[in-house]
Amino acid sequence: MAEDIVSVCRKCGADEVEVSLVSISEFSVDVRWQQIENLVEANTRYLSLKVIKEKRTAYATSSDLTRETLHRLIKNTINRASYAQPDEFSGLPSPAPELEIEIPALRLFDPDVPELEPERKIALAKETERIALSEKGITNTHGASFETKEAQLTLANSMGFLNEYEETLCSLSLGLQAGETDARAEGYWFSTQRLFKDIESPEEVAKKAVARTLRLLNPRKIKTQSVPVLFEPMMSSWLLGFLCACVSGVSIYQEASFLVNKLGERIASDKINVFDDGLLPAKLGTRPYDSEGVPSQTTPVIEKGELRNFLCNTYAARKLKLKSTANADGAGVGPTNFYLQAGRDQSSGMISTMDKGLILMRTIGHGLNPLTGDISRGAFGLWVEGGEICYPVSEITISGNLGEFLMKVEAVGDDLDFRTSVCGPSLLIGDVLVSGE
Amino acid sequence: MKKAGLAFGDIFPLSREALGQILELSLSRGGEFSDIFLEHKVHHFINMEEDIIKETLESISLGLGIRVISGDRTGYGFTNDLSLEKVKKAALTAAAVASGKRGEHLISLQPVTSAHNVSPLSCPPERASLEEKISLVQRAYETAQKTDQRIKKVKVVYLDQGQSLIVANSDGDIVSDQRPLMKLTCSVISEKGKRREAGFSGGGGRVGLEYFSEKVTPEKIGQEAAEEALLLLDAVDPPAGEMPVVLAPGHSGVLIHEAVGHLLEADFVRKKTSVFWDKMEKQVGSSQLNIYDDPTIPHFRGSYNVDDEGTVPKRTLLIHKGKMVGVLQDRLSAKLMRMPWTGHGRRQDYTCIPLPRMSNTFVDRGEYDPEEIIRSVEKGFYANKYQGGQVEDSGKFTFSVSSGFLIEGGRLTAPVRLATLIGSNIDILTKIERLGSDLEFGLQTGTCSKGGQAVPVTDGCPTIKIKKMTVGGRV
Repeated sequence: MAEDIVSVCRKCGADEVEVSLVSISEFSVDVRWQQIENLVEANTRYLSLKVIKEKRTAYATSSDLTRETLHRLIKNTINRASYAQPDEFSGLPSPAPELEIEIPALRLFDPDVPELEPERKIALAKETERIALSEKGITNTHGASFETKEAQLTLANSMGFLNEYEETLCSLSLGLQAGETDARAEGYWFSTQRLFKDIESPEEVAKKAVARTLRLLNPRKIKTQSVPVLFEPMMSSWLLGFLCACVSGVSIYQEASFLVNKLGERIASDKINVFDDGLLPAKLGTRPYDSEGVPSQTTPVIEKGELRNFLCNTYAARKLKLKSTANADGAGVGPTNFYLQAGRDQSSGMISTMDKGLILMRTIGHGLNPLTGDISRGAFGLWVEGGEICYPVSEITISGNLGEFLMKVEAVGDDLDFRTSVCGPSLLIGDVLVSGE
Repeated sequence: MKKAGLAFGDIFPLSREALGQILELSLSRGGEFSDIFLEHKVHHFINMEEDIIKETLESISLGLGIRVISGDRTGYGFTNDLSLEKVKKAALTAAAVASGKRGEHLISLQPVTSAHNVSPLSCPPERASLEEKISLVQRAYETAQKTDQRIKKVKVVYLDQGQSLIVANSDGDIVSDQRPLMKLTCSVISEKGKRREAGFSGGGGRVGLEYFSEKVTPEKIGQEAAEEALLLLDAVDPPAGEMPVVLAPGHSGVLIHEAVGHLLEADFVRKKTSVFWDKMEKQVGSSQLNIYDDPTIPHFRGSYNVDDEGTVPKRTLLIHKGKMVGVLQDRLSAKLMRMPWTGHGRRQDYTCIPLPRMSNTFVDRGEYDPEEIIRSVEKGFYANKYQGGQVEDSGKFTFSVSSGFLIEGGRLTAPVRLATLIGSNIDILTKIERLGSDLEFGLQTGTCSKGGQAVPVTDGCPTIKIKKMTVGGRV
C-alpha cells in the first residue's frame, strides 16, 4: 500500500514523496484497590505523507484509509504544496542512503508480547498493587497499570526506499500516596521494555514505588542557599531531556538554543560523555532507520565535555551544512537512545561526601528556557548533612543554568539503566541554588 | 443544532439503527451502561519560519470508541475501521469488562439537542481559502519582524480544526455536534549583545476568520510577541524567597486552573487522592473568592454545546465565598458519587476514555481597584505571563513565570524573567488578600493535559494579591 501511494503521488505530479504506515495493536489495564478500573484494547492504522513539488513541501496524515479519502487527500496535498514557498533545503535524503543494518539483531520485537493472555496482564498489575498496599504507611493508590503495544511500521519513498519492521513495548507502573489528607506524599515507579522478560517483577516495581513515596513524607522547608545537589537517575534523565532539546538541529537553525555556534567548544565537565545511539539492541529508543529512512547510527554529542554534534534530520543538516544524524522524527528532530555515559561513582559515595546538600528526587513545573539554558523548577528531595540523609524537603525550587550545571558536574554515577530512552546516571552537581523560605 | 445521523451520514457510514444494535451488543455481557463516540476531525496547519511559508499540513482523523461501564469498571475498545465487523469487535472488547449474565436490552435512540450554541460563525475555517489563512500568518510574521531591529527570529503557526461528533448511549440518547477551533500563535526571539530572550502571543477560540478582523488582529499578535521579547532584554533575574505576590489579570488564570481546578475534578475527589476530597462545604480560601467553570461561554476555546459523553453542560460554581461547593463531573464519577452531571466529561479523541475535565475556569471579579492593589505592596513580585504550571494531588504546585515585574514602593519597576512560584493550594487561597474588579481571560491558545489526554481550555481571573508566596529564581 505504501508503495502504491508513492506511485500515485508521482503520477499526480509530486517530485518527491515519502509515505509511512503504522499499524498498532494496544492493550492496557488499570487496577485500583485490586479491582479493574479500565480495560482498553484496540487496533488502529495511520498514514503519513510528505510530498515535495518544485522544492515546496506539504504534509498530510490520515486515520481514514478508505480509497476515496486517500485519493482526495493526495490530490489536496500535492495542490497544497504549491502554497508553500520554495525552500532550497527541502527534499528527501540524497543520495538515497544504503541500509546495512540487520533489523533482527536490534531485538525490537518480542514474539511473547502478542501471546500474553489478558488474564496474565491483569494479574501482573493486581499483584504489583497488592504488594504495595500491604506496606505500612501507604494510604491511597493511583493504581497499577500494565500496557502492551505491538506496532508494524512501513516506510516508502520515491527514491526507492521500502522497508518495514515490527516492534513491541510493555510497561508495568504504579502510583501511590502516603500520609494523611492534607500532608500527603506522592510517588510512583515503572518499568518499560521492548522484551517482556526484561520487565521488572511486581515485587521490584511495588517496593521501589513504596520506598519512593514514603521517603517524601513529612517534608520540611529549608532556607535559600547554594549547595551541592545529587541528581538521581530520573532527574539526570530530565536534565538530559532538556539538553536533547537544546542540541536539536531544528533549535539550532532557529537560533532557539543557547548552544548555537558552540560546536567544538567545551560546554561541560570533562567527565561528561553524551551519545545518541539508535543501535543499542532492545533499548526503547532503538530503530533501524529514522523517519526519513536514514540508517541509525551512534552519534557522539558531548565527548569529554566538548560539544561534538547536533542531532539533525536531513533538512536541519542542510540548513546547518552538517550531515543527518538519523534523528528525523516526523517533520522534526527527535532522539533515539540519548544518554549520558555511566561513570564509576556510587551514589552512596556521593552522598557521604556532602557536608550539606540535597538529593534531588522530583521536579515539577515548566521552567526551562532553551534560549538561555535557564532552569527554574519546583523540587522535592532529601536534605543531607554530614554525609547523612536527614529529612525530606518540599516547596523549594532549584534554579540555575544547564550550561553551568554541566560544567559543575563533580561525579558521574555507575547506575545508568536506560529506563527511558533519554537517560542519565546519578550526577553530583556542585553549588546549585536551592530557594526556600 | 442539527439532528444526529442527518448531518454526517456521508462521513459516518453507520445508521441510527445500527448504532442501537451495537449498544445492545456492548451490553450483552451484563454491563450497565454503554456509549459510542464517533468522531471525524480535520485539522490544518501552516508554519512560517525563516521568512518563508515553510510547510502546510492536513490531518484527517476518523474513528469510533465504545465504552461499557459495569460498577466502577470501564471497558473500552476503539477502531478507525468503521466496517460493521470491526465496530462489533470493538463493542465486544469493551463488553468483556463486565462478567454478569447476558443482558437483554432494546435500545431506540432519540435525538437530544443543546440549548446553546457556543460557535455561531460567519466565516468557519473550512470555508476559508488557504490563501486567506496564509495571509493571516504573513501579517503576524511581518509585524513582529518589523517591530524592532533587535527582533532576530520569528515563527508563526496557524492551526484550525473542524470536529464532527456523534455520541449515542444505552439510555437512548443520541447527540451530534460540530466544533470549530482555530488559533494563530507567534513566537519571537530578540537579541541585544549576548542577551537573547523569547516572546509569545496568540489568539483564537471556537471562532471563524472574522475573529482576526474584529477581535484580535494578526498584527496585534505579532506586536505583542515582539514587545514581550524586547521587554525581557532589559529584565532582571527574579527575587528569591517569600514575599507579597500580585497576579496579573487574565494570564494568571492558569494558576487557578492548575492549583484549584484539577483537584476539583470528580475522579480525584472520588478516589480521595485530591486534597479537596473531604472539603465539601468547608472553607478552603478567602471569603472573597468565587470560582466557576463555564463551558457555555460563546467562542471560547474551552466551550462546547455538549460534552464528549453527550451531556449538555452547565456553568458550575466550584468555590463560593471561599467554600468548596462543587466538583466537575463526568457520568461515571457522578454515578459513583450520587451527584448530578455537570457536563464536564471530555476526551482528547475517539481513542480515549472520557475524564472529568475543566473547560473555561475563572475566578470571579472582586471589589478592589487593580491599581490600588499594586499600590498596597511596598516590596513584592508581579507575575504577568506564564510558561505553564503543574500541581500534585496533595495541592503542591509550581508555576513558571516567563515575565513579571518587581513591585517597589507600590509601583511596577524592573521587568523580571523566568521566575518560579511555588506553594500549596489551600494555603495560597487562604492568603488571598484582595481581588481586583478587572476580570480578564488569558490567551485563547491553551491546552490542558491529564492522563495523556490534551483538550483545549481557557482560564481567567482578576488582579489577585497574595499576602505571601515563595518566589524561586536566580540570585
